[in-house]
Amino acid sequence: MKKVVSIDIGSTWTKGALFALDGPAGPAVLAKRDTPTTQDGLGRGFLAVLTSLLGLPPETRLGDLPRDIPVYFSSSAKGGLAIAAVGLVPDLTLQLAKLTAMSAGGKVVRSFSFSLTEDDIAVLESAPPDMILLSGGTDGGNTAYLFENAARLAASKLQVPVIFAGNRAAASRVARILEKKDVVVTENIMPEIGQMNPEPARDKIRGLFLDRIVAGRGLGEIVEVLGSRPKPTPLGVFELVAAIPRVQPDWDDLCVIDMGGATTDVYSNTESYLETDTVVLKGLREPRNKRTVEGDLGLRVSARTLWDAGREIILEGLDKAGLPAEAMEGFIAAIAADAGLLPTGEPQKTLDRILAEACVFLAVSRHTGGWREAFTPQGRVFVQTGKDLRRVKAVVGSGGYLSRSADAAVMRGALNRLARPAEERKLAPERPAFYADAAGLFPLAGNLAEDYPEEATALALASLKPLE
Amino acid sequence: MSDPAIVLGVIGADCHSVGNKIMDVFFSGEGFRVVNLGVMVSQLEFVDAAIETDAAAILVSSLYGHGEIDCQGLRDLCIEKGLDRIILYAGGNLVVGKTPGAEVEEKFRAMGFDRVFRPDVDLKEAAALLRSDIEARRAEAS
Ligand code: B12
Repeated sequence: MKKVVSIDIGSTWTKGALFALDGPAGPAVLAKRDTPTTQDGLGRGFLAVLTSLLGLPPETRLGDLPRDIPVYFSSSAKGGLAIAAVGLVPDLTLQLAKLTAMSAGGKVVRSFSFSLTEDDIAVLESAPPDMILLSGGTDGGNTAYLFENAARLAASKLQVPVIFAGNRAAASRVARILEKKDVVVTENIMPEIGQMNPEPARDKIRGLFLDRIVAGRGLGEIVEVLGSRPKPTPLGVFELVAAIPRVQPDWDDLCVIDMGGATTDVYSNTESYLETDTVVLKGLREPRNKRTVEGDLGLRVSARTLWDAGREIILEGLDKAGLPAEAMEGFIAAIAADAGLLPTGEPQKTLDRILAEACVFLAVSRHTGGWREAFTPQGRVFVQTGKDLRRVKAVVGSGGYLSRSADAAVMRGALNRLARPAEERKLAPERPAFYADAAGLFPLAGNLAEDYPEEATALALASLKPLE
Repeated sequence: MSDPAIVLGVIGADCHSVGNKIMDVFFSGEGFRVVNLGVMVSQLEFVDAAIETDAAAILVSSLYGHGEIDCQGLRDLCIEKGLDRIILYAGGNLVVGKTPGAEVEEKFRAMGFDRVFRPDVDLKEAAALLRSDIEARRAEAS
């Protein structure tokens, strides 16, 4: 039997599973384990889960582990992969730089367009990201801003790696300007207006994550001894969402919402724009596979910022439930005191549900494009910006809260709210079926998606529970 | 010097696409790096695309008769966004009905367009003018 281990080191839990890839009834879960993430050395929690899965004594040393079972793993510990995105025009290269960073499993902590100012550099220096993605200009296009921004970065105190993925005509000079820094040059993310090329930059981000960042977080030895290369957790899920419809065409037009304590991720795999006579696309034609991550939306660490961003919706929910705004203030304060808080009874459960619905609403809303009406002499047309998710057939809720959903109320409520008439008509999924990632396998199956797309798909789909 | 980039598009809510496609093919054949934004292009889209591609000129088309309103302020927006020296051309059926050509031209020049073309323009001539205008701007700049 072909066995593999998959481990995900999350910000609070380190979870793992031992899988049989060729069981008699297809791929199967043989064992699952989890333990709190060991913040002071991620390797300890990792080893605890690994030895337990393999049925070995906990004191087994790395070097004595069996070599016949491959170990796949991912990490989103310590805030995940923080990326600052620099582009030229906000709607073009900057937008694409952000999408590229997110689809590589990163979290965009800062973004800048046009010239980096002294203040921008000071902001970066005071809280350095893990890496900077520097883009701008089509191939043969603008170079002036790139040289200027590269010079600003070169003169800064920043020591983090810089990935240059802008105008290729500027590449060698940018590399020279930044030669005293850790600079990696790759292909332009937007070689021509509207044309996207995120993959080479994505590969570089992943490479840097491995070489420079994982090692610094107490995982270097594991990588060396086991020879397995970790991914940022969301990259695994991204690859899984890309793989599922390739393996199971019935599962085309898929959307996954991963709502956590600190961030909420939305993944979609569906065609972003259907050309018709009455719909004109403006701005980027977004990719079929897309991930967005919202650093201000989450149920625990980010509860306060969620309350700020979603106040209107949350107040409406409170009103419907007959609860005063103070009840939410109190709940948020309780969460601030204990980020691991689990609601025990009412009204906490209701308050948690109200937050969850607002969180899904905002995260999906930011992921999804819209139509605005325009009247031309010929009649009405729609101007689309962003991605059309109307044809999405299945919406999967993942992450602690949504995995445990008993019904589809939270996700359906959020989508119904998106469907309300507004000046901009949101192109959210229209009639999807809802599922919960009940066994919590998406991140663990995601780690296998690159090497074993079929098995990962089978494991992920078996984890789903249909929701009414 | 590399081939100059030029941005093409039909401005406003205008859906006439045939002339735009012809211009794309023609100017590409003449050795320009054509960045074609198609129909229903807003002023900001013209400007954004010109910045990213470092374009030497923006060629605005308007066929449906509302060109005057749609084109107002484009020059200002260019200046605002740092495209101080970009060449602006306009062409097509720029106004409704039969306003005399000279009057149309005067209006569009006052709005900051460097040249204005009628629907029956010989594109070869337009390309020759464009080349010499681009060279003149480059000479001024250096
Ligand atoms: C086909 C057509 C349509 C089609 C367009 C289909 C499509 N996908 O393109 C349809 C039926 C959709 C249509 C709709 C309308 N149309 Co119409 N249409 C025409 C028609 C018959 C031909 C246009 C065409 O394709 N010409 C061929 C191309 C090659 O020429 P061109 O577009 O002029 O472009 C060339 C030159 O102008 C020049 N050029 C253009 N821009 C520039 C820029 C620069 C810098 C340079 C150097 C050169 C240049 O080079 C181009 C290539 O050679 C014209 C009449 C005519 N004969 O021109 C009316 C015409 C343009 N339409 C007109 C009108 C009024 C409309 C509508 C408002 C009518 C309505 N109420 O339905 C709508 C508007 C819809 C919209 N939102 O845009 C009027 C415009 C009147 C005005 N400006 O005063 C025209 C002139 C008819 C008329 N005489 O009344 N139309």
